[in-house]
Amino acid sequence: MSEALVTLDRVSRWYGQVIGLNDVTCTVGPGVTALLGMNGAGKTTMIRMITGQIRETTGRVSVCGMEPFANPEVYKRLGYCPEIDNFYEHQTGRQFVIGMARLYGFSKEKARMRTQTLLEEVGMADRCDRKIAGYSKGMRQRIKLAQAMLHDPDIILLDEPLNGLDPVGRREFMDVLKTFASMGKTIIVSSHILFEVEQMTRSIILLHRGRLLATGDLSVIREVIDKYPHRIHIETPEPRRVAERVVGLPYVLSVQMDPRGAGLEIQTRQPNEFYDSVPSMILEEDIPITSFSSPDNNLESIFKYLVEY
Amino acid sequence: MEGYIYGSMLRELFRFRRIAPWLLVVLAVYGMSLVFQKVTSGTPQDSYVLVSATLVFRILPLAAAILSAAVVAQEIEQRTIVYLLTRPVPRWKLLLFRTLAAITVVFVLGSIVAFAASLGTAGLKNEMLVRDLKAILVGSIAYVSLFTFISLLMNRSMIVCLLFAFIWETAVPNMPGDLYLLTITGYLSSIAERPSLGQSAGGVFDALAGMLGTNSVSPTIAWAALLCLTAACLGVGCLWFSHFEYMAREDAE
Repeated sequence: MSEALVTLDRVSRWYGQVIGLNDVTCTVGPGVTALLGMNGAGKTTMIRMITGQIRETTGRVSVCGMEPFANPEVYKRLGYCPEIDNFYEHQTGRQFVIGMARLYGFSKEKARMRTQTLLEEVGMADRCDRKIAGYSKGMRQRIKLAQAMLHDPDIILLDEPLNGLDPVGRREFMDVLKTFASMGKTIIVSSHILFEVEQMTRSIILLHRGRLLATGDLSVIREVIDKYPHRIHIETPEPRRVAERVVGLPYVLSVQMDPRGAGLEIQTRQPNEFYDSVPSMILEEDIPITSFSSPDNNLESIFKYLVEY
Repeated sequence: MEGYIYGSMLRELFRFRRIAPWLLVVLAVYGMSLVFQKVTSGTPQDSYVLVSATLVFRILPLAAAILSAAVVAQEIEQRTIVYLLTRPVPRWKLLLFRTLAAITVVFVLGSIVAFAASLGTAGLKNEMLVRDLKAILVGSIAYVSLFTFISLLMNRSMIVCLLFAFIWETAVPNMPGDLYLLTITGYLSSIAERPSLGQSAGGVFDALAGMLGTNSVSPTIAWAALLCLTAACLGVGCLWFSHFEYMAREDAE
């Protein structure tokens, strides 16, 4: 088994009377690990402790076997893409990334070359000479990503990195992550969107109100969810026709009509099979489905399952 | 690395938008010194001393208070401190070299203001100007070190620094007894070898110039006192900055 580069041992962090992280023990090894939790779950607190911006109140955080707080040796091996959207707005993207490269100890020339490479990798090479003040959210995310990867770190921490990225940007970003993961790097990505996480990794750390709720493979969570019927809401102008069609499917447990007549809600224990059958329903039988969504496919419902059941 | 930290901070502080207001201040000081020269009855040197004490040495701590905020406080306010603190640079180096850059800029600004004051009164062949430049150098070091240290200790430190620069540094040197020893401007007066302390007529300008009190500190003691203050502020500041957490107030909640 690969060695864990990040270790938290019974770590708690208090902000005055408020607890940010409560007795968390976990390890993170090579590959992509998602730090999953709703807003206020303690994800950013955990990331700040790993990146040595704040200290743990009790317990011990270790990064590459070292205490991370204000430790330059740790920062040589760690890249950090913060959640904040703040920059030196008067600088151009290139100037900002070059500045960060210089702080990593690159010479002027090397910093320029490395910056160019990274800006190309994150798709900002053609726009990096504009002032950051005029950047969109997605462009800012890309610049943050570039500065985190400048020194080819062993550990990369990304706090809500997909915020503001368009679908193409997300796809490209995930491809970059996969490339880094395949190189044996340890990548920690925080997110509060389960769907995003599922596309990036199977390995998760699930936080809820400062506590570690689950850790390991995403299937652990999926199994819990799948113990209970999965609800799918279908929007259609012809709910009765759709109901007639789906009620015959073997994995549909029940069908309930929307009282407003705008659609219907089904329950199933095999949501993936249901989702697979939707395209053929639409294309072959010309059933007009305008949209479908699952109220059970968000973090809130997962926490409800994990905490209450 | 150290050179980059110092150079990038210098570039930041010498940005046109930051420096433009100070250029207006220089023009204002030049204009006011011309007026002083016209309306006062003494020699050009006397006019220079008054302008220097009431304007140049009031502007110096003001510039130090505003520019030293850029060393750490502004980075915290703008939440960009995270980009500095998560780089493989010891925190003390960050603080020290950024502070040195702020000292450089405050010294340059103070010197230009002094030149403008001299140009408007006694001309550039002015013995007092050379002595003032020495005092401006020491003053820049002492004020920036002190204000940077204060900014490490508290949020919204600019208010405290401005109160110190304007109220404390103006009022205390005029008080009787040895209270002037608790000001930086008292020592700077000694280093500048300012004449006629304690012998003024007691007008508003003399009060603003801190000339109502007496000052018996020798220049050597003044140098030593301000260098000790600087060393203490920088030394403790570096330790403090390396030991404590720094992040935006809203993030710390």
